[in-house]
Amino acid sequence: MTAPVATSHRKRLRAPKFALALPSIIWYLLFFAVPIAFIVVYSFAAKDGSKLIPVDYGHLSGANYSNVFDETFFKVFKSTLRISTIATIGCLVIGLPVAYFAAFKVPEKWKAIILALVVVPSFTSFLIRTVAWRIPLAPNGFFSKWLVDMGWIGTQGIQILETPLAVQVAIIYNYLGFMILPLFVALDRIDIRMREASKDLGAGRVATFFGVTLPLAGPGIIAGVLLTFIPMCGDYVTATVLGGAKGNMIGSMIASQFSGAQNWPLGSAMAILMIGAVLLSMIVGAGIVWLITWVLKHPTSISTRIKHLFHERSVSRTREGKARLFNFDVLPIALSAWTVLVLVFLFIPILLVVFHSFNGGSSFTIWSGNAGVKWWDELFDGSVAWAVLARFTALFVIAVVARTVLMRTTKISRRLLNWSGPVAFLLAFVINGMSTNWYETVFDFASIGDAIRNSFIAAFGATILAVVLGGFAGVALARRPGVWTKVFMATVFLILVTPEIMDAIALATWFPRVADFPVIGYPFKHGWGPFNGGMNKLWVGQSLYASAVVTLIVRARLAGLDEALEEAAADLGAPPARAFRQITLPLISSALIAGGLLSFTLCLDNAVISTLISEAGSTTFPVALLGATRSTIKPFWGVGAVILFCVTLGALWFVTVVLRRSGSSSSEIAATLAGS
Amino acid sequence: MTQELRILAPDSFREKLNRRAFIKAGTATAGMAVVLMACGGSDSASPDTTAAAGGAKEASGDWSRVINKSSGTLAMYTWGDYDDPALVGSFAESSLGVKMKVDYFGSNEDLITKLSAGGGKSSGFDIVVPTGPYIVQMIQKGLIEKFDKALLPNMVNVDPAFLSQSWDKNNEYSVCKNWGTTGFFYDTTKIKKELNTWQDFLDACMGEASGQCSVIDAAPNYAGPYFWANGIDWNTEDKASLDAAEKFLVDELAPHIKAFDSYPSTKLAEGAYTLAMAWNGDARQAYVRIKDAGGTPENWRWVLGAPDTELFMDTFCIAAGSPNIEAAHSWINWILIPENSVTDLSYHGYNTGMKNMEQLISELAPDLVDGDMIFFKPEEVKTMHTQILNTSIDRLVDILNKAKAKAGA
Repeated sequence: MTAPVATSHRKRLRAPKFALALPSIIWYLLFFAVPIAFIVVYSFAAKDGSKLIPVDYGHLSGANYSNVFDETFFKVFKSTLRISTIATIGCLVIGLPVAYFAAFKVPEKWKAIILALVVVPSFTSFLIRTVAWRIPLAPNGFFSKWLVDMGWIGTQGIQILETPLAVQVAIIYNYLGFMILPLFVALDRIDIRMREASKDLGAGRVATFFGVTLPLAGPGIIAGVLLTFIPMCGDYVTATVLGGAKGNMIGSMIASQFSGAQNWPLGSAMAILMIGAVLLSMIVGAGIVWLITWVLKHPTSISTRIKHLFHERSVSRTREGKARLFNFDVLPIALSAWTVLVLVFLFIPILLVVFHSFNGGSSFTIWSGNAGVKWWDELFDGSVAWAVLARFTALFVIAVVARTVLMRTTKISRRLLNWSGPVAFLLAFVINGMSTNWYETVFDFASIGDAIRNSFIAAFGATILAVVLGGFAGVALARRPGVWTKVFMATVFLILVTPEIMDAIALATWFPRVADFPVIGYPFKHGWGPFNGGMNKLWVGQSLYASAVVTLIVRARLAGLDEALEEAAADLGAPPARAFRQITLPLISSALIAGGLLSFTLCLDNAVISTLISEAGSTTFPVALLGATRSTIKPFWGVGAVILFCVTLGALWFVTVVLRRSGSSSSEIAATLAGS
Repeated sequence: MTQELRILAPDSFREKLNRRAFIKAGTATAGMAVVLMACGGSDSASPDTTAAAGGAKEASGDWSRVINKSSGTLAMYTWGDYDDPALVGSFAESSLGVKMKVDYFGSNEDLITKLSAGGGKSSGFDIVVPTGPYIVQMIQKGLIEKFDKALLPNMVNVDPAFLSQSWDKNNEYSVCKNWGTTGFFYDTTKIKKELNTWQDFLDACMGEASGQCSVIDAAPNYAGPYFWANGIDWNTEDKASLDAAEKFLVDELAPHIKAFDSYPSTKLAEGAYTLAMAWNGDARQAYVRIKDAGGTPENWRWVLGAPDTELFMDTFCIAAGSPNIEAAHSWINWILIPENSVTDLSYHGYNTGMKNMEQLISELAPDLVDGDMIFFKPEEVKTMHTQILNTSIDRLVDILNKAKAKAGA
């Protein structure tokens, strides 16, 4: 990996500044810019169902665009934006108190616990969590029946499923974590002295919050809004599972144009208009924020009067000691109650998934009244499972013993030996999972084992790609800025704001063309080694968003650090490769780990892109589950989700341990996880 | 070709298998049906229903039971929940020596898109399950492979009435997996009026069950009830008829629809719908799911669409560029063994089209419930029509998409 770095440094005067980012530039050009360009072309063409690629370039026209502005399509457009906007505001309103509470009102230890509880639910399969909402909301479900028995609702039960309201609730649920984390990071970074100063100067609680805390948390709020609003606009899973006919969203409509109707031109036009709408609403949002800050900063008569009024009131209240309505402080209690409620909300579907994986009936969402462990039995064939467990434990124990012995007898650094536990865990996992028939014999049901294994291989490969591409690009951005930086950052930003469904269709229509290219097409057509073409496609598809995220994290990490260290190393005569290895790499290692973990979990849960590009033999868990949601979801999908959850949690724990050992506090870990 | 289809079970047999008997039998039967549906032919399952799969029970008479052992991996792309898990899993693997992988699609268009995306050659799938009329298009696009009939000796077990269909006269590309039909299912406690025809269905959907009714999420099926209720051939290419259909389906019917759902049985049991258009196999499973959910199956009534309705036949085909074409033949040949075929039938509830079906059921699956939802009278079969893939399909797809947009607005 260091070879290209070395060259670029040696030829420092000649190599262009973006040399380090070159892999990323080629990657984005080949798998983002060009495929999207094709979508633009398709959008002006006409449908021709008789061809393999059902597009007729004969008569290019804007007809598809005028078709989209058909009244009915336009309504779905509007309702999608409405649902996303309300959900973003909902996430902000629900998430802000939690982030505020975690950042200011609890000791360090509890910060970590609250954050972990916020993050953990998002490590369960997105799809199964969404499906799980069907359980409490079903009109014949236990919750509905209880409400009816209590006489609180009519006898028809809860009528929320298959309405936009169900989509609204579930979408808030699905993205809440992505809002809380960046909010927390932003709030946590605020110097507590600023708030104290504000209070010392006589500002009340409200004035401090709106005058000091909120403006300082601005970047976090913007990050949170972007992280939730954009994927919401492109989300089609939630609407498909819960929305019925009334809760239709534009994402599912675009997807159906591509697969169902085979009308790629119309779908392309819709996708382009959608990204336009997303960008437009962000510009409008930014405009509003700018306007508000401008009004507040520039002393117009009205704003000064309002400010003055607020200030006067809070100062006078403080002075007169009327600030408190009650004798005791209500705020922390209210905040903690709210936080508990939000955490319960976040965990409801997870608990239901675990509960229903023991369902004795034939459908995941319908509790048959009797618990059955049949699905578990079938997944874990007794004898084999024990053998695997025994081998696994044996390997782990050997590693632990070896560590102790090595520590007593040799002088290998403790830091290095601390890695032996996690490494042994991974090794035992790999040996038992990959090289024996573990999955083949244990998961003897509906290819679920294959799906889980494929998910890990796909996510792992895509993560490596993302870390390598994003690592180099991030270093280049931070250390070799130039004109190219702006263009590159714009591309990265565009990748982040492009709704997933758009990437998905762009790639799905691009791969058949790429497959015919010499050399580049080979891995996609024939695969290599044990990995078939579909797996190679998955790596590419999943790496796009992930590498953009890693790029930003690495850049942010280095931007905060002086280049003096690298320069000192160079002055002391270290060759560029060595300087990179010994100085830069350790500096960005925590960013790489955090970015890698974030990529891994994003890729592991990727359903939209993967569904459109996967092939036989490379079906991942979310793809298989999305396929199953079209008919009846059997309880064993819950079992699969639980297993996936446990393993992902293991990975998370592993990374947290690594970060802890490198001396980060829980706040810093959260900050790196949130990517800022 | 629908006239060629003949009755597969006499009336006395049908009555024996009717669902009211099933309901009276109560928990024991229902529990067994759960086992039957949930885990099919695995060793722990009820011996009565799945012994055939284990090889203990064998149908009498002259049957071809050739098994060609094979090796490697076999990838199948099929409809969701459409095969007994054992028959596409452990049992197939132990009988044939292949390792099976199954993926699911939601519509014929999805299937065609997926196969086309691989350039028609590199999808990686071996066996695919398109619906009959789509086969013509798939042959034309080069998406499916010709059979090597020498490897399919068990095809003689299939009732000739289900061979030589219009889309593939000599069964060079396809063989019947099973066939089924369309009707609807409603809650008699919520809809007091007795519904018997598609017109009743449409009226109820726009009346008592407005906002509580689901339709099948496939273009021809969504348009079907309108054509059938109005006595129009559902394969019509007449522009005026299609215009009228669009007007009704998009402007009048769509706003009343709660969901476009091809498999309503689960959501129906959750309580989401009071009226649902359904394929017969899925409707049959709904009885078990309603029972699971603590509902009362007696309150639900299944009606076969009238005066006319659909007949669909799903077929096994081999995908072009199949990586393991030998195993694909072995499996298709193996599923055509009567015992396996009946096991599959018991799971999904669609007629698999074996010869002497009546005898097979009485010998291999005497406890099969709701037989009247699987086997139909000759006069009923006469009212069923297969779809023909013609110029109207684009229009119908367009209508469905517009209806979806309208329903969501």
